[in-house]
Amino acid sequence: MEDYVNQTSDSPAVQAAGETASLPADPVLGTETVKPISEEPGYWKSQWKRIKKYRKILFFLIPAAAFTLIFSYIPMFGILFAFKGPEFNLTKGDILYNLTHGSWTFANFGNIFVDDSFWRAVGNTLIINVIRLLICFPLSIIIAVQLSELKNQTLSKVILIILTIPNFLSWAIVIGIWSGILHPDTGVIGQLTGHIMAQDAWFKPLAVFFSAWKGAGWGCILFYSAIVAIDKTYYESATLEGANRLQKMWYLTLPSILPTIALMLVLNISGMMATGFEQIYTMMQINPGDLKNSQIVLDTYIYEISVFTGTDIPFATALGVFNGAIALALMLIGNAITTKTMKRGLW
Amino acid sequence: MEEDKILQDSPQTAEDAVLEARPHKRHPNKIRESKIDIFLNIVNITCLIIGVLLIIFPLLNYFSLAFNDGNTNLNVVIFPVTPTLAAFKYVLAGDGALDFWRAFGNSVLLTGVVTIGSNLVEAMAAYPLSKRDFPFKGGILMYFIITMLFSAGIVPIRLLMHSFGLIDTIWSVILISISNVTHLLYFKTFFEGIPSDIEEAAKLDGASDLQLFFRIIVPMSLPIIGSCCFFTIVGCWNGYGSALIFIGQSAKGKMAQPLAYYLYLMLQSGALDKSDTWLMANAQNVEAAAMVASIVPILLMYPYVVKYIKGGLQIGSVKG
Repeated sequence: MEDYVNQTSDSPAVQAAGETASLPADPVLGTETVKPISEEPGYWKSQWKRIKKYRKILFFLIPAAAFTLIFSYIPMFGILFAFKGPEFNLTKGDILYNLTHGSWTFANFGNIFVDDSFWRAVGNTLIINVIRLLICFPLSIIIAVQLSELKNQTLSKVILIILTIPNFLSWAIVIGIWSGILHPDTGVIGQLTGHIMAQDAWFKPLAVFFSAWKGAGWGCILFYSAIVAIDKTYYESATLEGANRLQKMWYLTLPSILPTIALMLVLNISGMMATGFEQIYTMMQINPGDLKNSQIVLDTYIYEISVFTGTDIPFATALGVFNGAIALALMLIGNAITTKTMKRGLW
Repeated sequence: MEEDKILQDSPQTAEDAVLEARPHKRHPNKIRESKIDIFLNIVNITCLIIGVLLIIFPLLNYFSLAFNDGNTNLNVVIFPVTPTLAAFKYVLAGDGALDFWRAFGNSVLLTGVVTIGSNLVEAMAAYPLSKRDFPFKGGILMYFIITMLFSAGIVPIRLLMHSFGLIDTIWSVILISISNVTHLLYFKTFFEGIPSDIEEAAKLDGASDLQLFFRIIVPMSLPIIGSCCFFTIVGCWNGYGSALIFIGQSAKGKMAQPLAYYLYLMLQSGALDKSDTWLMANAQNVEAAAMVASIVPILLMYPYVVKYIKGGLQIGSVKG
């Protein structure tokens, strides 16, 4: 945790150290209170002085802090539900009553591991995300390289703008569009293929395809802007050295955007437990078949047991907490990797 | 390849002297493309055109469905076969209008309140945090960032909204969307880049901190504020994940559904009256019409996207 504090901002220790070094250079502090380093007050005293200095803008923090407290931190006390026994029942009393009565147990977390639906959800989540990582992620890079290779950069921007259109459509619309095309009776493609949106075997390929259709263009903006930012003189000297187009792509363009690629890769892997709830849930819901059971992913499973089968609150909470903990662990690992290798945090 | 070799040679050779004497023939800046280059260009542009068609064709197909009559949907490829505005009439002014415009209103409320509220709140919080020597800066940032990394899950937040009595109202979605730590970090990074001399000068002129923030900092940060507002608008307009969590199918919930949620229900045919035969024949067209109508506000903002992509592509990066 200490690492990312250093990354995002100065931790108190770094601040204190940095302040003694750069005090005279500070334009705000420098005009009024330049003091010899020997007279530098203690840590708490200096914090107090800064609080006084910034007292007028301290209240700027209050609205954001209050929203975060109410809607992010107070629900965290709800983690306690995950440790309550099966007699937890909100129809018998309010939350406080249920928390103070009844037994405490770890069994809810144990039950997660013997739950068939859970393992199926984990399997589906990982499969969809790995295929996405193998297809959608390289696709964005390939499109970005292709666009940058066009002679006419205005044309490449026009194409980029067209490719980003689906990103601004709601998932309901994207799936509506494709279920129109894949409609078994009236769809242009569906007339040939049959009702593939309702078929088990097609669910995951279609999920990945829809993600690519919606997100590839938007995803390539990042890589495209990284490529555009490469110094053109490198290409000129590579040309003089006799490199051909493919060599320039492979030995110059790709290595230059490698930091961006690595960062996005780590970000993607950190989000491995989330599949995009809206997309998968909508794809399931528009089909009356039993895709709901076979193609369940973690997001939809947690949603279903949390919102609809609201009887077993402790188990639903435990599952949510467990999922959150895995996501947190993945993020921290990802952050540690980027901090070590790229000297910057994920956030 | 031939040209490349020539370029590698020292400029003192006789050949080069000849070349320099005839610059229009072989100017180094106008290297003739080799055959493999031409081939690559063709492959490249073909792939891109396929990509563009793959985006445009489904959109056109769906748009023409919205303008088509239900009986000839079979033949629609990229143009309406029997053009009619009946589906739009049903959605915007007919029997479906009440539901559509109510959902539209809910979405406008949601988007408006969240866009103004969230960005104002986060920009205000980012301002003190952008000061280099703000007290407990690291700790306060950590307080915000933790919420980005970990949440307690659906059940506790649903119970919290339940205890506020906000389940099945749009306000639950609004309140949960206000906090946006990513934008806080964007704002903070941007504010850090504003030279402090400007603030000093304003302070010497007697500006209070509030005046300083709203009259100096905010106008100077319009690019980043614009970007963040744009992404908030798109997110609110298109998102229905939180609405699915907080807003159900009860009578009260039906009054609070935002537009994207309404479209999602339409996809399930949950929002259509099954006893109406015309409607059943035109269900797909009505659905398409509602979706096309719902895109219009986003389309109106598309010039901004174009400007954003043509311009610096500033906040593509994670950190801003």
